[in-house]
Amino acid sequence: MNNKYKILVVEDESNIRNLVSAMLESNGYRALLAASLREAKLMYDSHVPDLVILDLGLPDADGCDFIKYVRGSSPTPLTPIIVLSARSNERDKVISLDLGANDYVTKPFGEAELLARVRASLRNHRHSADSGKLPGGKFELNGLEIDYDARRIFLCSEEIKLTQTEYNILAFLSEHCGKMLTYSAIIKAVWGERCEDSSVKKLQVNMANIRKKLGIKPGETKYIINELGVGYRMDG
Amino acid sequence: MKNSVLKNCFILISILVSAFFISVLFQNVFSIDEHVSTLFAFAVFLISLTTNGYVYGIISAFIGTLAINYAFTFPYFAFNFTIPVNLISAIVMITIALLTSALTTKIKMQEAIKAENERVKMRATLLRAVSHDIRTPLTTIYGSAESLLSNSELTEEQRKKMLVGIKEDSDWLVRMVENLLSVTRIDSGKVKISKTPIAIDELIDSVIVKFKKRYPSQNVILSLPEETVFVPMDPTLISQVLINLLENSVLHAGDFDRLELRVIKDADSVIFEIEDNGCGIPQDMTERLFDGYFGSNEGLADSKKKNAGIGLSVCAAIIKAHGGKITARNTEKGIVFRFILSVEEENQNEQQI
Repeated sequence: MNNKYKILVVEDESNIRNLVSAMLESNGYRALLAASLREAKLMYDSHVPDLVILDLGLPDADGCDFIKYVRGSSPTPLTPIIVLSARSNERDKVISLDLGANDYVTKPFGEAELLARVRASLRNHRHSADSGKLPGGKFELNGLEIDYDARRIFLCSEEIKLTQTEYNILAFLSEHCGKMLTYSAIIKAVWGERCEDSSVKKLQVNMANIRKKLGIKPGETKYIINELGVGYRMDG
Repeated sequence: MKNSVLKNCFILISILVSAFFISVLFQNVFSIDEHVSTLFAFAVFLISLTTNGYVYGIISAFIGTLAINYAFTFPYFAFNFTIPVNLISAIVMITIALLTSALTTKIKMQEAIKAENERVKMRATLLRAVSHDIRTPLTTIYGSAESLLSNSELTEEQRKKMLVGIKEDSDWLVRMVENLLSVTRIDSGKVKISKTPIAIDELIDSVIVKFKKRYPSQNVILSLPEETVFVPMDPTLISQVLINLLENSVLHAGDFDRLELRVIKDADSVIFEIEDNGCGIPQDMTERLFDGYFGSNEGLADSKKKNAGIGLSVCAAIIKAHGGKITARNTEKGIVFRFILSVEEENQNEQQI
């Protein structure tokens, strides 16, 4: 019973809190509940959850403040955070992702969708915690293999030839597998540039080539998930 | 802003210069100069009528007065402010400028008020239609939930049916809310929508992913341009248009087995087409199809046609806000929806990739 993942649900609407809690509990997770930023901080510090599901509209503060709190001062700053919000603007998504949220789920959402995101975030956290970029580090996801030392990519054991830039993008996504990465985060990591219209175009052209080389057709959610106007996420 | 100043100055100069030359013509060829003041007064009137605000009219009145004084009254080609005729023509022209400008400004203001009124009216129509339409799914959700809570006699099958009903009608509400959000996104700023360059591949990808989530079994045949094309747009809104059109086929095309989404690159525009081989629509409907919700036709909202009204109206509004037009055309079998977005801007594909 003790090896259940602990998930902190920060949500001020009691109906949604109960719903999320029921979805999690019935799927083998332990849900901790908080209705305000104050409660969330208390729960976070005393229980050290494995993941946080966070609503942005809290009564005593903006949810973004909690992201800053977790990423900034707490002893476990890397705990995955999934934002749950009724705000569907690209700008709101980008802000919370750039603050350090791992993923963004828009209300209304279904059980299947929420659980998939929870699993992906937990898996990613485990993955980056133990493999990282150690020598001999390898990445594997449903037949996609990345050999970080040799800078080579294999799809079902067959090598895929990528350009340097394409490799860098894919490697960066894989290192943060399961996490939604904004355009600006990727551009900064790959080119070291500020995010502008021209660099976003450059990224999208490269991404189109990567998808073609990996044989991903439009509408397929294989390996790379595209969140229009926001960024990309690597996932099964 | 700068453009309008330039345009106004151009109008002012060209009309004054024409007036000047015509006057010279009259004077030299026909040897009459009584009509010169009238001619300049007419020029001032035209300038006040076609430019914005008071400034240009008044400037032209001054220039006109000086020109008459200098060139067309004795002594010719010298200033002489002692003749009372000049003062009179100056007063007449400035009065003309002021009155005409005041009148045109007033007319323009009235037009703006009229447009605003129309928007308010459209919003009211929309609100009424939506509130009315929302009652139906709410009835299912409210009633089913209450029965499920209080009625223990229900069979397992009845319970299941009610839950399915709740789910379906919530889906309908979700779509309705998405469309309404799109409308507010167009409506909120009076300025044009903010466009960013979007790769067609990514747009279509996210649309198909979203569509597949709702209709997992519906296959969509895609045909896209080979190279990556960027089109300036509001991606959320254009996604909404494509989803609405695809959904429209699924919900209203009746019996069909082919749903196609084509994106064709043209010289300086991109053409989007959605085609199904379903039942099509009556020919006389193709024009009215897009103004179900926003038009004055209030009877339409009452009829039972689940979401088609608002969906297509929203499509038309979004495409219009992008500076395009959406059309529907019956084919031999089925219907094809088509809209065109301009590529404009600089669209050289950066080579230093």
